[in-house]
Amino acid sequence: MGSIFSWIRHLGPAGIVLKAIVVSLIGIGLLLVFILARRMVRRRYFHRRDARTLAIRKQWQEIVSGTVAPEAWWVDRMDREIVEAILLDAIEAAPATHAAELPRLLSFLRSSGLLDMRIYEARALRGWRRQRALVSLGRMRAPEAIPAMAEGLEDSNMETRAAAVRGLQRTRLPEAALCILEPLVTGNLRVPSAPVQTALVSCCRSRPSLLLPYLRRAAGQSRPLLARVLGELATPEMDDDLLLLAGDAQAEVRASSARALAEAKSGLALPALIALAGDPEWFVRLRAAAGLGDLQDPRAIPALVQGLRDTNRYVRLRAAASLARLDAHLEEILERVVECHDRYALHALISELERSDRIPKLVDSLSQPARRHTSATILLDALRTGSAQIREAASPRSAARPEAGAGLEPAKVSDR
Amino acid sequence: MIRFLELSNETLFIYFLLSNLVYLFMLITALFTSAAHQRRLTTIRVGWMKGAALTPPITLLVPAHNEEKSIVVAVRSLLSLDYPSLEVIVINDGSADRTLAELTRHFRLHRADLLYIPEIRSAPVRGIYRSLDEPRLLVVDKEAGGSKADASNAGLNAATSPYICVLDADSILERDALLRIMVRVLANPERVVAAGGIVRVLNGSHIMAGALREVRLPRRPFEVIQVIEYLRAFLVGREAWAHFNMMVIISGAFGVFRRDLVKRIGGYRSSAVGEDFDLVVRLHRHLYEQRVDYQISFVPDPVCWTEVPADFASLARQRARWQKGLLDVLWQNRNMLFRSSYGRIGWVALPYQWIFELVAPLVELVGCIMILLAALLGVLSREFFLQFLFFGYAFATLISIGSVLQEEITFRRYNHWRDVVRLVCFCFLEHFPFRQLHMAWRLQGIWQFLRGDMIWRPMKRAGFPASPQAR
Repeated sequence: MGSIFSWIRHLGPAGIVLKAIVVSLIGIGLLLVFILARRMVRRRYFHRRDARTLAIRKQWQEIVSGTVAPEAWWVDRMDREIVEAILLDAIEAAPATHAAELPRLLSFLRSSGLLDMRIYEARALRGWRRQRALVSLGRMRAPEAIPAMAEGLEDSNMETRAAAVRGLQRTRLPEAALCILEPLVTGNLRVPSAPVQTALVSCCRSRPSLLLPYLRRAAGQSRPLLARVLGELATPEMDDDLLLLAGDAQAEVRASSARALAEAKSGLALPALIALAGDPEWFVRLRAAAGLGDLQDPRAIPALVQGLRDTNRYVRLRAAASLARLDAHLEEILERVVECHDRYALHALISELERSDRIPKLVDSLSQPARRHTSATILLDALRTGSAQIREAASPRSAARPEAGAGLEPAKVSDR
Repeated sequence: MIRFLELSNETLFIYFLLSNLVYLFMLITALFTSAAHQRRLTTIRVGWMKGAALTPPITLLVPAHNEEKSIVVAVRSLLSLDYPSLEVIVINDGSADRTLAELTRHFRLHRADLLYIPEIRSAPVRGIYRSLDEPRLLVVDKEAGGSKADASNAGLNAATSPYICVLDADSILERDALLRIMVRVLANPERVVAAGGIVRVLNGSHIMAGALREVRLPRRPFEVIQVIEYLRAFLVGREAWAHFNMMVIISGAFGVFRRDLVKRIGGYRSSAVGEDFDLVVRLHRHLYEQRVDYQISFVPDPVCWTEVPADFASLARQRARWQKGLLDVLWQNRNMLFRSSYGRIGWVALPYQWIFELVAPLVELVGCIMILLAALLGVLSREFFLQFLFFGYAFATLISIGSVLQEEITFRRYNHWRDVVRLVCFCFLEHFPFRQLHMAWRLQGIWQFLRGDMIWRPMKRAGFPASPQAR
């Protein structure tokens, strides 16, 4: 501290403060000038850009057909960027609106040199410029740009690798998926799993079978990732592979196979999902219960009622949600649940019926005069009692009482 | 005595110089970080996330205590947000007004027999309500817990999504705010455990039916000064701290968290005055203890607009509460200081909060006393004092204008020339007497904490108008 003070004394406090004041004032002045100048420059820039955009849009058909020579807009950077922006938006919108327009737009993209320029940038530039080029290439949906994007996956910068994945995702081409799949299964893809999954779902949508050979080869972290992707895209033709996955050693893969089986809705889905509903791992049972709900097959009722009695609360809730979707069989379901004499199961079911607004309909159906003196009366009582019990559970006294397992992570809350 | 005064003044000078240098460093860091973020945005389109199959659902938790004026508009605004899978849980925290009645009337609520398991402790829940019109809406009616933290915990128990976003009922999220904040989270969900967005001042802007129509500066001078404060705190402070993964505050008005993690640390601490600060510090603590590689991010483009105090009494209460909350959290976590197991949080972030945030009003007070004492004893160099005062003024103005510049080069929400000129003018005017009043309010907060006065004093609010008007 002594040396700092002597340094200040040496300079003289007034001297250092004076210098600081001058520096601060210069700083303030520069900032103010910068703000004002920037505002004015931007105003002029946007004014000009709007005018050029309007002019280019008016000539758009001539530009795409080549009647207006590319030299007319290529030389000016602003014009070039406007043409590229309009073109990319049109390519992205084309499949939904004007599918026939797409080949013409892609042909213009190639002949104009825009594609080659971006391929060059994606290979030659570094940092955010490369990232921008990679994503633009993806939006162009041209297969010849895929190798340049694949090279981006090997960049030393994580953000550039992620941009390459985003670019490949935007192509929505199965060829792009291959560039991701190969390094993924060999462990050479250093990108967080979420963008990779999204990209694979997007690129494999038209050919989900592309995933299967890689899934067979995959090990470690890439295996559940691929299984999750398959869960989104599975088709009935993949039955055999899905069944193999249902018996996988990794629980996450089994859980994804349950989702895939439900998505594929093949003939083997029901027995396979019923088998998975008895899996030792709770989240596999949860997925199986959800999958059985998607099938909406009354043959799943016994397995789902069993799910209602699961040791895990989340499985019970999901089984209840799946049962509630079987509108035409609610009475049968209620009867089975009442027969179980399991108040947790009854709570879960009635809570879900309440959530999905099905209680009034069920009560009406059970209260019909023709059904008095039958088992319907018992079910109605159960329904009313269960409902009252839930109210009791949500009451202040009960809510204030902490439950066993409070504060534990969901995975460990296997309550009762 | 004179030697003591000299030493004190020199120490205060060093403190002042250090704090300003830290601010300058943060400003420069924030400018670079924002520029990088702007460039990153050129490669991302938030709309792409909307259609993505694997975009995870989010539960919005909206604690509401006596919010009858704004709750309906706020909930409608939240339900209209751009996000593929959304659940909105309003927690009526023992409101004495018509908050629940308003919700019931506008959304046709009816009491539902839903299973509610209080995994995290909160004040008793009186009932859960569903809407006949809007399946994504759930209302948890509970007894007053005395804090937003308690209400948030009740909402946390009812939440079902993997991510939760805690909001204020008097705030408005921009339509794409959730998509924008989740872009950062989903870029690396294994690592990013929480993210905060920017909170901006709503006062003065034109809103209609819960949506922002035109951004304008407020009319009252001390509201404009709060705009500058918010810009400085978020666009400079948060941006810089988050760059080094040392952000210890995610505003309670707008932040996204991984639900499993929040539950694992026991949710919000009900007794915390600054529950948002407390939660983030405990998250850091937990993750460091678990030796997890993680990131808590700040995303500057998703915007939450919030109403700031429009009268001095409310402002004083708010600032006293913030200081009380700061002291409460820092005291609770004092064992994290200078411990290698808490890394940069223990060595940099928390010591900074102690030295330059908590102690600052005390140092300012001591500084004022010393100057007075020196003047009385005739040892005050008038020339040096004036120069020092002018330097402090110029430097603080520089930082404030720097935050306006940040706003200008990044998000530029204030488009009117008049607003920008006023904003810059108030950068020169905020130092007298607002700073001195601020110091007094913060000292009041410390005093309240030391007396054990932890009562949450309500703020006067204007509420949301249903028709277009300036606030």
